[in-house]
Amino acid sequence: MSTIPPAEPSEALQRQSRTVRWMLGVGLGVVAALALVLLFLLTQATGNRELYERNYARLFALNVGVAVVLLVVIGWIMLRLLVRLRQRKFGSRLLVKLAAIFALVGLLPGLMIYVVSYQFVSRSIESWFDVEVETALDAGLNLGRVTLDTLAADLGSRTRQAANQLAQDSVSPSLAVERLRGQMAVRDVVLWTATGQLLASAGESRLLLQPERPTPQQIRQARSNRVVTQIEGLDEALPATGAEAAAAAAVGAAPRLPPRIKALAVVSESGFGLAGTERFLQFTETLPTDLVANALAVQEAYREYQERALARNGLRRMYIGTLTLSLFLAVFGAVLLAVLLGTQLARPLLLLAEGVRQVAQGDLRPKAVLQSKDELGGLTRSFAEMTQQLADARFAVQKSMVQVDAARADLQTILDNLSAGVLVLDTQGRVRSSNPAAARILNLSLTEHHGKALRELPGLEAFGQGVQARFETYLREAADHDLAPWQQTFELHSDMAQVQDRAVSLIARGARMPGTQECLLVFDDVSDMVSAQRAQAWGEVARRLAHEIKNPLTPIQLSAERLEMKLTPKLEPTEQAFLGKSVKTIVDQVDAMKRLVNEFRDYARLPAAQLQALDLNALVLDVMQLYAHGTSTPIQLELDPEAPLIRGDAQQLRQVMHNLLQNALDAQESVVEPEPKTGPVVLKTEYSRSSQRVRLIVRDNGAGFPDNILKRAFEPYVTTKNKGTGLGLAVVKKIADEHGARIDISNRVAAGVLQGAQVSLSFAVAA
Amino acid sequence: MALGLAQAAPAATAPTQLSQLRTERTDDGLFITAAVGFELPAVVEDALLKGVPLFFLIEADVYRERWYWTDRRVAGASRTVRLAFQPLTRRWRVNIGMGTGASGLRATFNQNYDSLDEALAAVQRVARWKVAEASELKAGVDHRLAFNFRLDLSQLPRPFQIGTVGQRDWTIAIEAEQQIGRDLKSVVELVREPAPDAPR
Repeated sequence: MSTIPPAEPSEALQRQSRTVRWMLGVGLGVVAALALVLLFLLTQATGNRELYERNYARLFALNVGVAVVLLVVIGWIMLRLLVRLRQRKFGSRLLVKLAAIFALVGLLPGLMIYVVSYQFVSRSIESWFDVEVETALDAGLNLGRVTLDTLAADLGSRTRQAANQLAQDSVSPSLAVERLRGQMAVRDVVLWTATGQLLASAGESRLLLQPERPTPQQIRQARSNRVVTQIEGLDEALPATGAEAAAAAAVGAAPRLPPRIKALAVVSESGFGLAGTERFLQFTETLPTDLVANALAVQEAYREYQERALARNGLRRMYIGTLTLSLFLAVFGAVLLAVLLGTQLARPLLLLAEGVRQVAQGDLRPKAVLQSKDELGGLTRSFAEMTQQLADARFAVQKSMVQVDAARADLQTILDNLSAGVLVLDTQGRVRSSNPAAARILNLSLTEHHGKALRELPGLEAFGQGVQARFETYLREAADHDLAPWQQTFELHSDMAQVQDRAVSLIARGARMPGTQECLLVFDDVSDMVSAQRAQAWGEVARRLAHEIKNPLTPIQLSAERLEMKLTPKLEPTEQAFLGKSVKTIVDQVDAMKRLVNEFRDYARLPAAQLQALDLNALVLDVMQLYAHGTSTPIQLELDPEAPLIRGDAQQLRQVMHNLLQNALDAQESVVEPEPKTGPVVLKTEYSRSSQRVRLIVRDNGAGFPDNILKRAFEPYVTTKNKGTGLGLAVVKKIADEHGARIDISNRVAAGVLQGAQVSLSFAVAA
Repeated sequence: MALGLAQAAPAATAPTQLSQLRTERTDDGLFITAAVGFELPAVVEDALLKGVPLFFLIEADVYRERWYWTDRRVAGASRTVRLAFQPLTRRWRVNIGMGTGASGLRATFNQNYDSLDEALAAVQRVARWKVAEASELKAGVDHRLAFNFRLDLSQLPRPFQIGTVGQRDWTIAIEAEQQIGRDLKSVVELVREPAPDAPR
């Protein structure tokens, strides 16, 4: 439905969804990294302890880094939420609430587990270390130490005793030594000189090639303390590491001697003068194996205990640090997820609320939908569908309204441009509406008279009454059955004698508007048509009359002239003069009648113009040759040398010029009051570049046209001249029409004084 | 607890220093004699007294100087010195082994001492230690000796390491470099006046 959402909200939505997706991606990535790191930690902690411990610091740093990243992300999200809340942005409150709830849900269990674990770890680590255990271990160690010391002291005293005995003895050293060994029940007896030379030995050391010599230090101590004891071989008795043992074996070190006590006592040579040969007696006693083993076990335990005691802070720090970090990671993860999930959950609601707000404001553009399959997604889809239906309905209404408007506008245009006048009248005959053509034909501003009855309008009384009468009968009859519209011809202004020439012929049709009681009145101005019909009828009459009248004229003239010729010689001079006068009258009248008839014929039989390119100026000069002499009034030529060729019939244009010039001369000559006009008649050609037309203008200084003549000057038999037939200008008009030329006729007025008349024709330039 | 206290109050110990380094080139090879001076911080001594053994790692590498490339290591030797206190007999024991690491205590030389100072003196002194065969050194070429002495924390008990990593108290280390004489029989010696509060 909203696969193609509209631009503006969709951008915002897309941006929002992008942000959400980005946030989701970051969150998931962080959580995944976190999970990986924790998993790694866990496996390492349980599996490879050594590796774990070696990389502990690195792992810790990594975790701290992750925590910092999470913290930053959360801080950023919080900040955004706060800013949105501050801006009172729509939905931020809900988002904050959801995030807070989720965060609480994540935080509380985490905190609880943390507190319990913390207690557990610190208690359990502390519980390893016990004052009593430590005291017991100390005591055990001391016990072993004291036992060893006692043994050593015992051996020392025996050695001293033996040394004293030896000092008294004077037997050979070997014998004495052997005897001492048996007497003191010691394992080994050796007699050394001060320089470390073997004097005699008894026991095991006899078997050795090089028994271990006492160090000079020992000898020094023995000399000062009389006796010195030393416990040896305890370290070797330790359960040595495999490598050490193997190494020792490989090097072929001396065979392991059991742990033993050595006592070295100086043999004080009392009586003899053998001062230079100071001797030292060394007793060696093997320690009891059980004692050594137990003492060593206690020592080992003590050492391990002390090691752990020293390391327990480190251990606890490690455990608690890991725990705290886990808490942080878990909480941060929870908060992050909370925000993300909150956003996710709130999104459909926000979308929906936003949509509702938009619809309330009249914005029916398609709404975004969620593709999720849950109820909220369905809700957004339903909402979008609803909005769409609303929008569709509104669109349909708008469309039909637009169509109606367009139809109305079309109709209005048609009405405005109709040449026929259209009026809508109500049942009382009042004008409801009208079109411009009606106003033009009736020569009234109808819009000002809307609501008035037609017969109340100025000058339309008869028309209005006639129309109303027709409508009344029409409606009466139309009530019974369908009726064709009525039609009737009306004559406006016909009853006013003084405005005879303003008479307008109307042909009006009336009909009823469908569905209402209003009436439609359509009327056409047929004055032009009537005028044209009149002109045509005139032409026909003229042609017939010319034909019928012309024939007898020549015999009449000839007969009159014969009468004069035959009778003149037979009459008296007085009768002769009378005859001559009468005949002349007959001949003149016949001539006049002939001219009249010819003009009628010319008008009626004007042939179709043969349009050719011609030079108007040349034609004017040609025509002017006929007027070169014999005119009472001068003719002034003003020819435009730039005038191009025009399309025209030379013969007919010659006629036009003759007619116009004759009229002008006649008009000028006819004026004698108050004084004869003296100005020349002007014949002028003029080229207008802009309109591409050439004008032919004739001006006179006569009396001009009366107003009533000016309007109908081109109709036949309208004249101001005493002897005119009224056909001159009619012919000119006809020819001008044939040439497609525009003809203008006007009075020249300068400073309010009538100067004369002007007739101008403008011809199209030849292509 | 002791550790925690020690961390809280940084011990004022003199820095580790090299008081003597002497290289001697003979027909048999290259021998060095060195003396390192340092004081055991109270924390470390405490740990020692409680039976925790300390391992010191001494390394000597001989490089042949090459102007066109990084110097090439031509010979080297290392030894591990283990210092431990035996609570039963209250004596100090020094094991000196060739090589490094766990398997380094090979061909050990053991010595017991009655006092820590004696034992430390044994640890701090290297006498006529053969670090290179004569055949490994070219005559007439410059060689360089890199001497390195440090407390090897990686051989401490594991839980201990967590507390000690990065602790100043537990950092006892010194590195030195010295030119070896070109000629046979040449002796190069560096002797520094021992610090006022020299090793006990």
